[in-house]
Amino acid sequence: MSLRYLLQRLSTLLLVLFGVSVVAFSIQPLVPGSPARVRLGVQATEENVRILEEQMGLNRPLPVQYADWVGGIVLRGDFGDSLITRTSITDEIVRRLPATLALAGVALLIGLLIALPLGITSALKPGGKRDLSASVVSQIGVSIPDFWMGILLILLFAETLGWLPSSGYEPISEGFFAWGRHVLLPALTAGLISGSIMTRFVRSALLEVLGMDYVRTARAKGVGPRKVLTKHVLRNAAISIVTIIGLQMATLLSSVVVVEIIFAWPGLGSLALTSTLQRDYPVLQAALLMAAVAFTVINLLTDLSYVLLDPSIEYA
Amino acid sequence: MNRIRPFLVTLAALALLGAAWAQTRGGTLVAAWANPVGLDPHATSAYYSYQTLQQVLETLVDFDNEQNMVPKLAESWTVSDDGLTYTFNLRSDVQFSNGRGFTADDVKYTYDRLLDPDTASGNAWRLGAIDSIEVVDDYTVVFNLNTVNTGFLGKLASGSPVGIIARESVEDGTIDTAPVGTGPFKITDYQPGTVVMLERNEFYWGTDANGTQLPYLDALELRIIPDDSVKRSALVSGDVDWTITVPPQALAELDARDDVVVDRSAAPAYWYIGVNTERAPLDDVRVRQAISYAIDRGQITEAATFGTGVPTQDPIPSVSAWAFDYAPYEQNLAQAQALLEEAGVADGFDMLIMPTTEYEESIRAAQVIQAQLAPLGINVTLDTREWADWLDTQGQGNYDTFVCSWNVLLDPDDFFYAQHKTGEVFNFTGYTNPTVDDLLDRGRQETEFADRYAIYEQINREIVNDAVYIYLYNPGNIQAYAANVNGYTARGDQTIRFVSTYLD
Repeated sequence: MSLRYLLQRLSTLLLVLFGVSVVAFSIQPLVPGSPARVRLGVQATEENVRILEEQMGLNRPLPVQYADWVGGIVLRGDFGDSLITRTSITDEIVRRLPATLALAGVALLIGLLIALPLGITSALKPGGKRDLSASVVSQIGVSIPDFWMGILLILLFAETLGWLPSSGYEPISEGFFAWGRHVLLPALTAGLISGSIMTRFVRSALLEVLGMDYVRTARAKGVGPRKVLTKHVLRNAAISIVTIIGLQMATLLSSVVVVEIIFAWPGLGSLALTSTLQRDYPVLQAALLMAAVAFTVINLLTDLSYVLLDPSIEYA
Repeated sequence: MNRIRPFLVTLAALALLGAAWAQTRGGTLVAAWANPVGLDPHATSAYYSYQTLQQVLETLVDFDNEQNMVPKLAESWTVSDDGLTYTFNLRSDVQFSNGRGFTADDVKYTYDRLLDPDTASGNAWRLGAIDSIEVVDDYTVVFNLNTVNTGFLGKLASGSPVGIIARESVEDGTIDTAPVGTGPFKITDYQPGTVVMLERNEFYWGTDANGTQLPYLDALELRIIPDDSVKRSALVSGDVDWTITVPPQALAELDARDDVVVDRSAAPAYWYIGVNTERAPLDDVRVRQAISYAIDRGQITEAATFGTGVPTQDPIPSVSAWAFDYAPYEQNLAQAQALLEEAGVADGFDMLIMPTTEYEESIRAAQVIQAQLAPLGINVTLDTREWADWLDTQGQGNYDTFVCSWNVLLDPDDFFYAQHKTGEVFNFTGYTNPTVDDLLDRGRQETEFADRYAIYEQINREIVNDAVYIYLYNPGNIQAYAANVNGYTARGDQTIRFVSTYLD
């Protein structure tokens, strides 16, 4: 892998971020409603709306607002202040990022713990009893809406059994145990769904490889089933599996909004939702940018991992 | 049996004594809270912000749990004969939570900032009667009004949006994250959308009847939990001690539990259909009256509030001293049809009704209204909008009808003036009635209860007859908490006070 390749990928990242920032900004005039009205509520007078919009800088031409905003990020690493709470957006992102990473990371782990064994066992004997039950389980997992799953898990583990807290987040600095107790239910909610999706991908990736000539050859040579699986099948299916893991991770980072709302989880997803509802444009734009960064970085990592998995892949 | 009784009595006495001891001090109350929209009292109009600030800021005068006006930061006050000058004598033993003494300068600073047009406060209208404020000495402050307004003291008591703030909190910017007040608690950490942490204000001036310093609690942890059913779960599973809202569907189940107290009080609030009186055919009073005759408020209330509200045809709840209970619109489809015929729309018409996703009960109410108006040929379409969009559309008058509520109304003036006087800023319906305008001004100038009651009774009658607001129901104020939470009462004015609350 060359330095040139890395630089090329980084410049793509910047280009993507630029594109996202322009799109995130252009939404503003298209959406009805104004943050000034949200702050004033039903008691808004036209005069107060005008004064507040001026104070918020919303009546300046859009390119000027854009330049001001991007300038703040590039020059000072500062996303500005929320129009609604008037608190620092950078602080907010820094505070919420670990929560989002924890939720997505643990959810992915749970998802993999489900998807790998289920996917492998069902691919080994397609159409068998295990395959059938695995596909029933994953079908159920895919069909259950996350808000419902979340509520069911809360009813069972928090209310009935009293083992886990019903909602909320503890940073890992408060101790691993407290952190783990809080992350488990939301991660389980997102992870069960994510695991169900991944099960089907793992199964089909393995089936594809299992049908290859070299697998048949290996079997004909008398290689045992376990060795066929580990040496020939999994290694060759790894690229497809890593690709789907990358996509799932990116999805988890940006799409766990509902899970975050249900579990009062202070992540970037609930921040994006609240700021959308309140028309808190700078916060929303910051959240969108962070999601874009997450997507591109994870894509890059996925691509880079191909090199490790398949020596024939080389990035020049 | 006889021998056991003295023993039991002793035991009971000991238990009572224990209870008296238990309320001394300590503990953290963990509450399931809703998301405040900023914490600067002059910059926000969100009720959840006010309810947060009620722990921190205090007003000059206040209402007790029975809605009687009582002194707070002002020990006493006098009103000049012409009703234009209010002189307040302030307590001299009050300190802000940063330890600085509270004086008349803080009163003037607070209201000057609130009323400054550059602050663009959504709450300035409450105190529009203030012309100027003079500091006489450290503990005497004079309010000069530009017009006589009998309800003025009530406006000063209307909770945290008019609470006294410390100037230094504005100057150092903490007004947005931890405004400094004289109240029983101070904010130590605010994480938007997540939690508000408060600790006892060690400088708090208030004491209980035994002279013990208030508050009893060491701290409050207000956890922002967006989903109502999760708030319920958090309470039931013991993760929180108290919850700010209760999903009405869960009330029956919570009522049946021994470990949970459901606390209800009638709220001085109403839900209504706002009608755009500038759009045909709704500009015809007979059409509006037809709608009022056609709906079944009992059904609407049941669907919208799961029976926790009280159907009503006029705004002021029956429990209020100002109740009029004027109810001319018993459901009557024949009468409604006759009115539509008179108005020339016998075959009905198309009408939009605008509820908001912010308040699910507004959607449930609108759905029932839609069904109830169908037999008259009034073809109702739901124009459901999310809050920011709803506010925009309503503010621009771009609607036929909407479903909304007014909250925390104490004086009868609060129920009518800003909403219905010609040209007033919150008169969104475009209503104009010279008789009502004249009566509204007279109501502000009259001081005797009986005279005022007569005036507002007439105003109430006019507005109900004109069906400019079609009143639906008075909601309840409902909170639930664990059985070990003591010294808390769900208040009629919807304010939340933890000053005398303790855990045992």
